[in-house]
Amino acid sequence: MTALALQLELLTTHYNYYAVMLLLGIGLYTLVESPNLLKKVIGMNIFQTGIFLFFVTLAYRTGGNPPIVTDGGGPYVSPLPHVLILTAIVVGVSLTAVALALIVRIYSEYGTLDEERLEELYYD
Amino acid sequence: MIEHIPVLLVVLPVLGAAIPLIVSLYSDRGGWSIAAVTMLAHATLAGLLVPEVWTGGVVSYAVGGFALPYGIELVVDGLSLAVVTLISIISLGVLVYARHAGPHENTFYSQFLLLVTGLTGMTVTGDVFNLYVFLEITGLAAYGLVASGRRVSAAVAALKYLIIGTVGASLYLLGVGYALATTGTLNMADMSTKLAAVGYDSTLVLTAFGLMVGGLTVKVALFPLHTWQPDAYANAPDSVSAFISALVSTVSAYALARLLFSVFTVDFLTAVPAARWALLVLASVSIVAGSALAVSQSNVQRMLAYSSVSQFGLVIAGFTIATPIAVLGATVHLIGHAVMKGGLFAASGIIERKTGATTVSGYAGMAGRTPFVAGAFALLALAMVGVPPAIGFVGKWYIVLGAVEAGLWPVVVVLLASTLLTLAYFARLVERLYFAEPTIHDEPAVADGGAEADESPASSDHRSDGGGAVSTGMIAVVVAAAVLAVVLTGAVPLLDQLLDQTLPPLLQ
Amino acid sequence: MTDVVSLRPLAAVLVSAVAIPVILSLKSRPNVREAVTLIVAGTKFGLVASMVPGVLSGTVYVTSLGEFGNGLSLALRADALGILFGLLASLLWIVTSFYSIGYMRGLDEHAQTRYFASFAASLASAIGVAFGANLLTVFVFYELLTVSTYPLVTHDETDRARAAGRKYLTYTFGGGVAVLGGTVLVYLLAGTTAFTPGGIEALATADPALARAAFALLAAGFGVKAALMPAHSWLPDAMVAPTPVSGLLHAVAVVKSGVFGIARVVLDVFGPETMDQLGVALPLAAVAAFTLLTASVIALRKDNLKRRLAYSTISQLSYIVLGLALLEGPALIGGLLHIPAHAFMKLTLFFCAGAIHVETHTDDISDMAGIGTRMPLTMAAFGVAAAGMAGIPLVAGFVSKWYIIIGALEGGSLVFAGALLVSGVLNIAYFWPIVYQAYFESPDDHDEKPLIEAAIGGRSAARADGSGVSSDYHTDGGEVPDHDDTENHDHHGGPPAGGWAASGWRGGESTWFMLGPILTAATLSLLLGIVPRSAVFLRIVETVVGALPEVML
Repeated sequence: MTALALQLELLTTHYNYYAVMLLLGIGLYTLVESPNLLKKVIGMNIFQTGIFLFFVTLAYRTGGNPPIVTDGGGPYVSPLPHVLILTAIVVGVSLTAVALALIVRIYSEYGTLDEERLEELYYD
Repeated sequence: MIEHIPVLLVVLPVLGAAIPLIVSLYSDRGGWSIAAVTMLAHATLAGLLVPEVWTGGVVSYAVGGFALPYGIELVVDGLSLAVVTLISIISLGVLVYARHAGPHENTFYSQFLLLVTGLTGMTVTGDVFNLYVFLEITGLAAYGLVASGRRVSAAVAALKYLIIGTVGASLYLLGVGYALATTGTLNMADMSTKLAAVGYDSTLVLTAFGLMVGGLTVKVALFPLHTWQPDAYANAPDSVSAFISALVSTVSAYALARLLFSVFTVDFLTAVPAARWALLVLASVSIVAGSALAVSQSNVQRMLAYSSVSQFGLVIAGFTIATPIAVLGATVHLIGHAVMKGGLFAASGIIERKTGATTVSGYAGMAGRTPFVAGAFALLALAMVGVPPAIGFVGKWYIVLGAVEAGLWPVVVVLLASTLLTLAYFARLVERLYFAEPTIHDEPAVADGGAEADESPASSDHRSDGGGAVSTGMIAVVVAAAVLAVVLTGAVPLLDQLLDQTLPPLLQ
Repeated sequence: MTDVVSLRPLAAVLVSAVAIPVILSLKSRPNVREAVTLIVAGTKFGLVASMVPGVLSGTVYVTSLGEFGNGLSLALRADALGILFGLLASLLWIVTSFYSIGYMRGLDEHAQTRYFASFAASLASAIGVAFGANLLTVFVFYELLTVSTYPLVTHDETDRARAAGRKYLTYTFGGGVAVLGGTVLVYLLAGTTAFTPGGIEALATADPALARAAFALLAAGFGVKAALMPAHSWLPDAMVAPTPVSGLLHAVAVVKSGVFGIARVVLDVFGPETMDQLGVALPLAAVAAFTLLTASVIALRKDNLKRRLAYSTISQLSYIVLGLALLEGPALIGGLLHIPAHAFMKLTLFFCAGAIHVETHTDDISDMAGIGTRMPLTMAAFGVAAAGMAGIPLVAGFVSKWYIIIGALEGGSLVFAGALLVSGVLNIAYFWPIVYQAYFESPDDHDEKPLIEAAIGGRSAARADGSGVSSDYHTDGGEVPDHDDTENHDHHGGPPAGGWAASGWRGGESTWFMLGPILTAATLSLLLGIVPRSAVFLRIVETVVGALPEVML
């Protein structure tokens, strides 16, 4: 295979990584740009999802079976990243829960979730 | 029994954290006693490890009995033992302070113990993913604690802290992914040999380094990733700001050092000078910018927060220089800073409760109203400036010595200048405390527990958590911190010996 | 030379440190508080003095405070040079304590407890600097000295005092940083920072560029407290402090700790021979010579008495540095002897300024015409000390300057000898008018003072009208007007409406709490001038210089 063909194949077969980049990008953008605190938290979630996908992709192996040992045998995808991501998802859920709780409290006090408005109220 | 201590150190506070929640079903008090008992046990366990590490060098524990390097390893060596002991002692000090200062809710003490769990876990773990989990546990507990202030601004600060903190931790996780892809292992010791085999100039390794270290510098709050810190410290209840200012960034900096020495190793820093310089520049910029921002603050607690940005620049610089003497200095400063900054925050809390002063101008003439606390504050400030023989000087001295030894002249200049920069923001405060006419004249109401502390000209916020009165225990904690800031100097040779077995293999 | 392990150096440091909490706790009982100060001062002097005979016979008293491994330690070591400074500081603390009591009570000052506690702390630090056995120990006490004198400088709690305090902290901590940098370099070059008479050997063979850098850092660092130009400007500003503070700390302990540090660096860290090889002595001497001439010229134009004295201090300190930098045996003796000599004389002068302030609230020289009738004893003491400053024989200053000039001539440095002589003339020029007008003029009839009153480089029609009301021109080209230095802005200085009252020569002019110290200090400067050897200081200095291996006497 020529070098060009190899690169082409790399480009066409690793589309999972595009998804990772896309998710990380969207997440980070929302996190930074949105003035709405709730949307920031959503952005944070998307960002984390990108990372989760990255780990899961790492574990993938062409033609691999799910890492559940049955009589079938054969190559399995790596179970380790899956386990890690299960943990990370739990962490992510807890973070989101705390964030939402804070948001509820902020909204009930200030009546807005707009960052700039809050900044004004905050320094009054 | 001894061999189980590393895991007990983590399990104990996590169990302790559950109890106050259960107790809440029957009573809304009792959290403090449970936390106190747990922390005493924690301190005892840490104490039991001292002779073990002193003679054996390292205590290692495989969690759940899984064979290493597949299972999770907990490692206690001289460096981590020093930090664990620090966690125990500071937590006990904060508990004494919080006994009267509050918050008194059981949930507070649950979060408190959860934070201790996270911090201890970060310190003893020998596994990079496990470090992430504990990092997030620490984060979750810290966000909750910051938000536990009754003012709503605390919630805004906590949310800001949460978002930035999560991004930092996520970056670290992403770096772990790269490292895992490169080496196929998560165990620190195992990973460090495999990284060396892969070659330090590999793009994957460099990316992993950048992401992991970058993520942690957010948690350490180096400039320009510090923006969460001032709001969080200034809005949290004073017990909490004393606690997290003393420990959270400290343990993150320790984790960064662990990553540098146990995972990437000094060889990596030598092989990739760009990485070393990037960290040194970051640290130096932090020292200067942190001080500059501290000078421009009017709120004392925000000023102290920016001071942390600057001081952690020193610590990270020491770790990055990575000669034994510089690392000793960074460790001394890490521990010393925790004691001093915790004490300063506690002192500022007491001064606010007693006089209502929260700003630099409000501190004018307050020495007469709070003689002991103001004295301790001045002493701690001077110790932070690095006036010998206080602990702040010793750390700085060793770091400078290491930098000169390594011939890093620009860094030497910044390190020496940091003394004057620190002086710049503390001198004006001490000067006001002692040599200015008070700007706040009326005594705040202390008897009603409501703390109508709105005398401060620049702040209309008032803290209603815990009442305005100040107990002897609170003052004793601050005075003890001040005494410790001087006395610890005498313990530096001991620390030197403790690290003597740990550092050479790490820094060869 | 024999080293003897002894706790006496440590005790000398600690005795006043221990007194701090005692003094603080006696806030409500001023008489007991002052008694404690006096007892501690006496004990301290006794402790230091008890070591003098041993030191003169070559014994060195050593206390080790702690080892840090790899050649670093904290230790105290009372050798001849240390004893010179220690004896001086502790002796003058007694004198100053009496004076302080008179001064502080005379003016009914606030925060006297803090004042006396800080004083005790300063003395503990100063003795620590004197007895520090290595650069690290000296640095520790050097910084503590800065911290403990800061409350004294800022004592007045006015804006000016706070500004002066800030400036003081900035300058001296800046100097501290330089000392720290130099100490680190010396440690890395030599593997030790311990003082060795004649210099640390390893430095002679070290990389010359780094050794020069280390010397420059150390000299600059100590030079800040020694008020070498251009790092001198904190000293005149610090004159807002109460006069006993200016006297003891800014003529004796603080500035002398800077000079003493330079002496340690020259004699015990680098050693004259190494300094000669490195070629660092000449620049230091040049800076000193420049400072002593420039400061004398500036002093001519200062109308505020304390400010004029401050510039005189800057100039005189450079005599010491110059003596050290010449590296000749006699010059070294002269330089070191000038440490006590200047201390006695300058203390006398400051005490006189303070006494005048307390009794008449006069601070400006232009208001002092005829004051000799009001305060004859004080002005007589002032005249004696001023004569000594100018180097008139029979007063302390003569002996030390004589040695320095001999040293300069021996070394062939005619330029420096010339600078010393010119400066002597300038000394007379700025001190004589004060004494002259005090006795031989009266408020209604005195000469113009063109140097003070005229603008630089031109004649001015303005002149003081003799009534003593402050006039408004800037005398020094843009600096703060001198006469703002008065502690009490609500009080006009100068003679009362009917002219100065005559108070005779029997002490009616002030309290003996103030006159006693003034006369004691003046007598001491005479003793040092007439019988220098019996007055012990010259013998200590000779022991110091005699211990240097390569210096010929």
